[in-house]
Amino acid sequence: MPKISRRALLSVATAAPFLAMLPRIVLADGHDVLRIGIAGETGDLDLLQNVSTLSSYTVVFDGLIHYGPGGTLQPGLATAWKVAEDGLSISFDLREGVTFSDGTPFDAAAAEWNLKRWLGVADFSWIGIADAYDSIVVDAPNKITVKLKRPVPAALLELTIVRPVRFLSPKAVDANGKQTAPIGTGPWKVESYSSTGTTLVRNDGYWGEKPAFSRMELKVVPDELARANGLRAGELDIIGGEWVAPLSPRRARALASDGVTVVAEPGTATTILGYSPKSPMMQDKAVRDAIFVGIDRAAVAAVLFEGYADPTVDIFPTTVPTAGKRHDVPKRDLAAAKAALTAGGWTAQGAGFSKDGKPLAIDFLVSDESFPGSRRIAEMLQAQLTEVGFKVNISSVDTAVMHQRRPNFEYDLTFFGNYGAPYDPHGSLGASFVTAVDTGPDGKIYVSDDLDKLVLAALETAGDAREAAMQLVYDWIYDNTAACPLVVTQRLWAVSSRVKGFALPATDYDLPFKGLTLA
Amino acid sequence: MQRMFMRRTGLALLLMVAASALTFVLITAAPGNVAALIAERSVGAGADGAMIRRIEQELGLNDPLPVRYLRWLGDAATGDFGVSLRSGKPMAEEFATRIPVTATLLAGGGVLALVLSLAFGIAGAVSNGGVVDRLLHGLALLGASTPNFFVAALLVIAFSVGLGWLPSFGVSGIRSWLMPWMTIALFPGSVLARVVRVNLQEAMSRPFATTGFAKGLTRRAVLVREALPNILIPFMTTFGAQFTLMMIGAIVVERVFGLNGIGAFFIEAIRFRDFIGMQAVLLLFVVFFVTVNLIVDIAAMLADPRLRRPKRA
Repeated sequence: MPKISRRALLSVATAAPFLAMLPRIVLADGHDVLRIGIAGETGDLDLLQNVSTLSSYTVVFDGLIHYGPGGTLQPGLATAWKVAEDGLSISFDLREGVTFSDGTPFDAAAAEWNLKRWLGVADFSWIGIADAYDSIVVDAPNKITVKLKRPVPAALLELTIVRPVRFLSPKAVDANGKQTAPIGTGPWKVESYSSTGTTLVRNDGYWGEKPAFSRMELKVVPDELARANGLRAGELDIIGGEWVAPLSPRRARALASDGVTVVAEPGTATTILGYSPKSPMMQDKAVRDAIFVGIDRAAVAAVLFEGYADPTVDIFPTTVPTAGKRHDVPKRDLAAAKAALTAGGWTAQGAGFSKDGKPLAIDFLVSDESFPGSRRIAEMLQAQLTEVGFKVNISSVDTAVMHQRRPNFEYDLTFFGNYGAPYDPHGSLGASFVTAVDTGPDGKIYVSDDLDKLVLAALETAGDAREAAMQLVYDWIYDNTAACPLVVTQRLWAVSSRVKGFALPATDYDLPFKGLTLA
Repeated sequence: MQRMFMRRTGLALLLMVAASALTFVLITAAPGNVAALIAERSVGAGADGAMIRRIEQELGLNDPLPVRYLRWLGDAATGDFGVSLRSGKPMAEEFATRIPVTATLLAGGGVLALVLSLAFGIAGAVSNGGVVDRLLHGLALLGASTPNFFVAALLVIAFSVGLGWLPSFGVSGIRSWLMPWMTIALFPGSVLARVVRVNLQEAMSRPFATTGFAKGLTRRAVLVREALPNILIPFMTTFGAQFTLMMIGAIVVERVFGLNGIGAFFIEAIRFRDFIGMQAVLLLFVVFFVTVNLIVDIAAMLADPRLRRPKRA
C-alpha cells in the first residue's frame, strides 16, 4: 500500500475546496447567453407606470414607429404612415402577420385598444398627441387613423418614446385594465424577473430580424465598481448606457487602460447651466454673459469627463433632429468676462465686483444625487468664476430639496440636462422653456414671455418651416444668453471580448443586442 | 428570573417605540418635497403641481406629525409597512425577499467571526508573547482598521478578476457567499480576537489559574478548562454588539457584492428619498438591535448567576 505523507495529505485537503471553486462561468455558461449588467431591477414593465427601468421596455414591446440613428423614423408595427395636410389626422398601415408573444394577433382592434389606454388620458397630457387626441377610426383590419383636435408636428417622434406608446397584448390585463404580464411583440420575451435580475428568451415568432443568441440575462448590480469588476472577471458581457448601467468617464478610462473595449459615441443630451429667470442677479445680461465666457468648457470636458464629453454652446447636439445651426465654442476669456461686467455697470472691487452696493455673489444649487458628478463640476466652475470676480456659494442638496427649490427658481445657477433622444428637441423645448407647461419638480431652464411665443410657435410649426422656426428659438436663447450649455456627454459602454459586432443602439433607452454575436 | 425577563422585554418594547418615533420624526423633518418625488415616480415627465397636491392629500402629508406617526405605527403593527416609492412593491414583499439574503450574510459572517476570533484569540494566548501572538496581534489590528469596501475590492480583484475562482456579485450557491462573509466578518472577528486574547490573559493571572498550575496542569489545559469559560460574559456581550454592527456593514457589503438584501435596499431608499422604505427599514433595524441586545442580556443572565441576583438598594 503506497504511503501518503502528512504533507501531501494536508496539501490535498487544502487544495480541495479551491479545486471545487473552479470557474463555473467557463464550464457552465454556453455561448448562447448575453449577460448585461443593469443598475436597478427591471420591474414588471408596466407600460402605464413610471416604476420599471426604462431600458428594458424596448426589447419586449414594439411601437408603431421606431427611433433610428439621428432621429430617423423607422417602421415598427406600422409599415407606413401618413399625416393629413391639415395635420389633424394620422393614418397607419399596420404590419400584417404579427402576433403578441402569447399568440394574440396584432391587428387594428388590438392597436385601437392599446392607444386608447393613454391617448386622451390626463396623466399622459405631457405627450402632445395624447393631449390633442380626438378619436380613433378603424379603417380596415390593418389600418387605423388617429384624429387630433389640433396638429401635433412632433406626433410621429412622440410615438417612438419608451412608454406608454408601445403595444401590449390585450389579454395581458386584469378586469380593471391593469397590466398583468409584459407580453409584447418584440424580439424578446420575459421568462422571469426578480430583484436580482431578469431573464429574457428569444421570441422566435418575432416579425423582424431575430437575435443571434437565445437568451439574455439582465443582472442587477447597483454598484458601478462591482459592474466593472464583473466585466473584468468575465461574469458580464456588457455594461454602460445612461439608462441601463451608467458608466462614469473615470471608470471607462480605467477599463480602457485594462484593455477592455470601451465604446464612446457622441451623446444626445446636453448638460446645461441654467440661470434663474426669477433671480435679480441673473436678470442682468452682463452677469450671464460673464459666466458664459468665463468658464472653461474644454477643461471640464477634458478633466472631469476624461475626454468623454464634447464642449458646446448649443442647446441640442446634432445627434437629435432639427438641432439647429452650430455656434463656435468660445475659449475661456477672463478679460472678456470682466469687460462684460464692467460694461454692465459692475465695478471692480478688490478681487470681486459690485453694483449699487451689492457684491457679485451667486448661489449655485447642486444635487450630486440627482445629477451624479455635478458637485465636482460645480467646484471647478466655482474656481473659474472666482477668478472672474464672482463669489460663488455652492448649495449641495439631495434630490427632494432639488425638486422643491428648482421649480420655485430658488437659485441663481443650477444644472439641467435635456432629455436626449428620442424625446428631443420637442420634449425639452416644451417642458423646459415654456412658462405655461407645468413640469412639476423638473423646473425650467429659462422662461420669458418672448421665448414662450417663439417656442410655442416652433412646436406648432410643421413641415419645411419647422426647422426655421426652431432656429429662431435657438438664436433667441443664444443671443440673449438665456442658458449656458456646457458639454454633451458621450454615450459610454464597455464590452467583453466575447461580444462581437457591438454597435450602440439608437438611444440609451435601448438595450444593445442587435447584430451581436457571442464568441 | 421570570420577572426580570418580563422587565427586560418590556423595556425593549418601549425602546423600540421610542426609537421608531425618533427615526420617523427625523425622516419626515428632512427638507424637500416628497410628494414631488412620488409624482415623478408615478408618471415621469408628466408630473405637475396638481398631481403633487393630490398626492399630498392622499398620503396625508399635510396632517400633524403625531397623527402621521400613530397611523404609520398602527399600520406597521399589522404588518402593513406601506408601498416602497422606489420599487413600487409593498414593503412586506420587499422584506420577504430581502431579509433571507441579509440573514444569510449576517449568520455566515457571524459564525466566521466567532470561529476566527476564538481560534486567533486562543492561539495568541497559547503563544503568549511569541511570534504567533505578535503576528495575530498585527493581523487583528489590520483587520480592525481596514474599511470593508476596501477589503471587498481586494478580495474581488484577487479571487474573481485575478484567479476567477469566485463570482464577484450576486447569489449563485455557496461560492458566492464566501467573499461577502469574509468581508463582513473581518472587522468583528478582529475586534473579538483581541477581546478573547486580552480577557484570557487577564483570566490567566487570577487565582483559579494559579491553582490549576499548582495542580500540575499545562498552560494550554488551564487556558481551555479554566480561563475560557470565565471570559464567556465579556465575549458574549462584545459579540452581541459586533453582531448588531454587522448590519451596518451589510449596507456596504451587499451593494459591493450585488446582494439584494435589506442593506442594499436601504441605500437605494435613501438615494431616492423613499421615505416609506426608509421608515420600514429603520424600524427593522431598531427591532434587530433591540432584540439582539435582549437575547445577549438574557443569555448572560442564564450563564452567570450573579447577573440574576436582584440589585441591592
